[in-house]
Amino acid sequence: MNIISSLFTLLIFPAGLTILLVGLFYEWMDRKLVARFQNRVGPRWFQPLADAVKLFSKEQIEPPVMTALLFFGLPITAIAGALAAGLYVPMLGLAPSYSFPGDLVVTLYLLSLMTLSIGLAGWNMTSRFSLVGATRTLTQLCAYEAPFLLALLGPALAAGSWQISEVNAYASQHWMILTQPVGFVVALIGLMGKLELPPFDAPEAETEIVAGALTEYSGRGLAFFNLGKSVELIIGLTLVSSFYLGGLTSLPLFLIKTIALLGLMALLQSLLARLRIDQTVGLWWRYGALLGLVQIGFMIAWR
Amino acid sequence: MNDEQTLQQAEKLLAPFNKETLHPETHRLDVVVTSEDLHAAVTALHDAKWGYLCAITGLDNGPEANNLEALYHFAQDSVVTTLRVRAPRSPAASVPTIADIIPPAVFFERELHEMLGFDVKGLSDSSRLFLPDDFPPEVYPMRADFKQDQPVPVIEVGSETFPNEPTKIGNTFIVPIGPQHPALKEPGHFEFTVDGEVVTGVRMRLGYAHRGIEKAAESRNWIQNLYLFERVCGICSHIHATAYCMGVENLAHVEVPARAQAIRELVSGLERIHSHLLWLGVAAHEAGFDTLFMYSWRDRETVMNILENLTGNRVHYSANVLGGVKFDVDLEHARTIKEGLDYLEGRVRHYLEVVTTDAMLLQRTRGIGTITRAEAERYGLLGPTARASGVIRDIRVEAPYGAYHRFPISAIVETAGDLEARLVVRLKEMLVSCFTLRTIVDNLPAGELTARMPRKVPAGETISRVEAPRGELFYFIKSNGTENPARVHIRTPSLCNWTSVLEKAVGHQLADIPMMIAGMDPCFSCNDRLVTVVRPNESRTWTWRELREYGIEHYRDLKNISEA
Amino acid sequence: MEKIIVKTDQMWKQVLNQVQDWSRLNSLWAIHFNSGSCNGCDIEILATLTPRYDVERFGIKLKGSPRHADILIATGPVTRQARERLLRVYEQMPAPKFVVAVGTCSISGGAFLGCYNTLGGIDQVIPVDVFIPGCPPRPEAIVDGIIQLLTALKTGTFTAPQKPIVVQENWL
Repeated sequence: MNIISSLFTLLIFPAGLTILLVGLFYEWMDRKLVARFQNRVGPRWFQPLADAVKLFSKEQIEPPVMTALLFFGLPITAIAGALAAGLYVPMLGLAPSYSFPGDLVVTLYLLSLMTLSIGLAGWNMTSRFSLVGATRTLTQLCAYEAPFLLALLGPALAAGSWQISEVNAYASQHWMILTQPVGFVVALIGLMGKLELPPFDAPEAETEIVAGALTEYSGRGLAFFNLGKSVELIIGLTLVSSFYLGGLTSLPLFLIKTIALLGLMALLQSLLARLRIDQTVGLWWRYGALLGLVQIGFMIAWR
Repeated sequence: MNDEQTLQQAEKLLAPFNKETLHPETHRLDVVVTSEDLHAAVTALHDAKWGYLCAITGLDNGPEANNLEALYHFAQDSVVTTLRVRAPRSPAASVPTIADIIPPAVFFERELHEMLGFDVKGLSDSSRLFLPDDFPPEVYPMRADFKQDQPVPVIEVGSETFPNEPTKIGNTFIVPIGPQHPALKEPGHFEFTVDGEVVTGVRMRLGYAHRGIEKAAESRNWIQNLYLFERVCGICSHIHATAYCMGVENLAHVEVPARAQAIRELVSGLERIHSHLLWLGVAAHEAGFDTLFMYSWRDRETVMNILENLTGNRVHYSANVLGGVKFDVDLEHARTIKEGLDYLEGRVRHYLEVVTTDAMLLQRTRGIGTITRAEAERYGLLGPTARASGVIRDIRVEAPYGAYHRFPISAIVETAGDLEARLVVRLKEMLVSCFTLRTIVDNLPAGELTARMPRKVPAGETISRVEAPRGELFYFIKSNGTENPARVHIRTPSLCNWTSVLEKAVGHQLADIPMMIAGMDPCFSCNDRLVTVVRPNESRTWTWRELREYGIEHYRDLKNISEA
Repeated sequence: MEKIIVKTDQMWKQVLNQVQDWSRLNSLWAIHFNSGSCNGCDIEILATLTPRYDVERFGIKLKGSPRHADILIATGPVTRQARERLLRVYEQMPAPKFVVAVGTCSISGGAFLGCYNTLGGIDQVIPVDVFIPGCPPRPEAIVDGIIQLLTALKTGTFTAPQKPIVVQENWL
């Protein structure tokens, strides 16, 4: 019974399939919002689902690769890592399916697994530009990873725990966006960098993951990477809104808070050229991290 | 100084080399020189700062005359002085290069070489410019004995420098192509040599859109050619047609009615607005600013509507006929035009503000790709690219044609010479266009729309120079009295402007290249080029998209990584 | 018992096929290639992405990599220099794939028929499924062509139409 219920939790609800569907829904909302900001209509609600199913039914071409195992395995590790991370966050406002002290760190590592898979996938190609594309991506993502981690560290310290469910509970008493506003901004921008949301490719139409690393992927492999990206989106949103926007304890709260955050991200995406993002990130990385550290130091001392 | 004096000055400068003088048109002076004297003659003009090199036309005078002729056109205001050099066909028609005096001539000379088989002595780069790599080596399309419909063998192997497998040449790798790109594109190829992040060398390969139009023109009659030349470029189709019509009308001594000329200027102005808005969107996209791309193209639809309303088609308006225009502008049209212009003016002012105040955009444009005034003149730049560096090179002002005598425009000039200046120049030009167009619409001269044109155009040679959105467009048309033209030579402005990128790229960061190329607004799309980035240990072919994203991410990470 | 198992099997297959076809019809990723055109058609294709026409609402996305694309939207009379690249792009696309030739030049060579450097149309190089005439065709006509392709595919088993579709220029 236990095994069956575990499997159910893992694969169907509230992890697995549920996260996938919710991820697709949020991907749609993001695209729709950006389209609206650009004065367009935007895609229909089932678009990401249609995209994913279509990709599964496409022929998978095998480009020349160094290791066939990596070529087939990396998409799977990407999606697996992303889905596994979903086990520890308060998805849909419900208590995380599995929870143990220190699961914040584990979750963040699992999310990074996705990025690492993309990087390795690019490296695996014999085409050299995939390699450089992958290297570039990894470098960039690592750059955003650090502030993101630091930003999530703040609330964790405030809550006095490395366990997401405990931070969530603490957050529902304290709105940390108010007590740690700097951390929130850093988290937001770090999240956008991690998800590669800032539009840096063509007319909204191309939301490819990475220029270069995933160019040679088609069919199933690409579908897995794209799905992984959607899942990463919703998990990232859940984490940040849980930590900073007052905890996620019920479904309506979950929806409201994550959608609000997504709206903010979509707005930034469309306006992003207005923000000098490198300066901003640099600024936050310099002052934000510094302030964050000062804040953390202050909290430690106060305890 | 008026035309007469300018002509006299040129004649005086060229007196020592003058073998024969001709005056094909009132504002033109043709001087025949020998190929030995050519270099000295060009130096004389150049040192006296008489005009600039417009174009170099190659002619094949036919098997009877058995010589080829190269025409070097220099223009000062409305006056054009042409140095004519005749070279016997065999052993090899030889002319010295003038690229050492005038650097931009190298493109014209390469064209001379590959189209007509001139042997240009001292030419630094005689690789193919327009013709495909697999074109047979000794075949010259523009020669009289090359028949258009003769089958030209296609040499299969090695036709492109893009092998399927990564190959190593010395220290470099060249890797096969990657993705294509949806945005405006005409494929071309650049090769950048980099040392770290800094560009140390550039090579360029054009020719992917070379269709052989000049040759085709010789087998079509004057009317058919109008429709051919409209389609040289989809973005500036009207100006090509205007230049062609003006040339033919000159040859036939036909005076186009004032109303028709005004309507031609009207459509020209609308075309300029559409072209600049299109370019703005594309440049914004290059900088990673997709929202601006969407907004500017949405606003561009206003102009497309006006043009469609007026002419019947959104692109390729086909407004011109030989002798005039096809359609009239009535009150209803006038109202639509003015409403549209009012809306556009407001939007352009908004974009002007965005472009000069938006921090991220400024970071990509301010102080980048700066070309000083001296450099602009030396490289022979044209159009908004030159005007952004302080060079007042605008045919509408220097050598007004058509209705520009009656409805003049003011040239917009900036001095900064960087990418931001180029953006500002184009935006302000749109404002000027709006203003002028309103004036035209309100003051259309009454009269006919067309004048009668003879079927056979009298023999002669004519030059028409007009201002396309990208710079000066040059048409050389030669008639031998029949129904078909004997020779049409087109020199598009973009050909002259490539030097701005090729010279300036060296020393800039690789990340700046997409914006720099966008900044010169190549008429043939600039957004998808294949770029080979050659580093000391590896070279790989990037797609344009990668290069653009590289540029965008580079700036995004610039501070980030240096902190991290 | 066997009959029921076989029937369920077939039904399952049918359902899967329908889902597959549904997804292919609703999520069409396109790649654009200019084989030497004057750019008129290309700017109209690009215009379909912009707010006035916005093809993203039909599920059409313009991609950069041939490996990610379902249809190839090609323009231009195919100059000799562009020919190999056109072939290469087509070969890189995974099945099922279709080709849409936009503009008169890509159908017959258009104004450039007979020029020494053009091959006279996309179908001289790769098989074409939809021809969209016009110089250039309006963005609505381009979208119409693609939708007509999808409609034709819906009735079949998602194989290329036997005879290429030619879009009639109703867009006057």
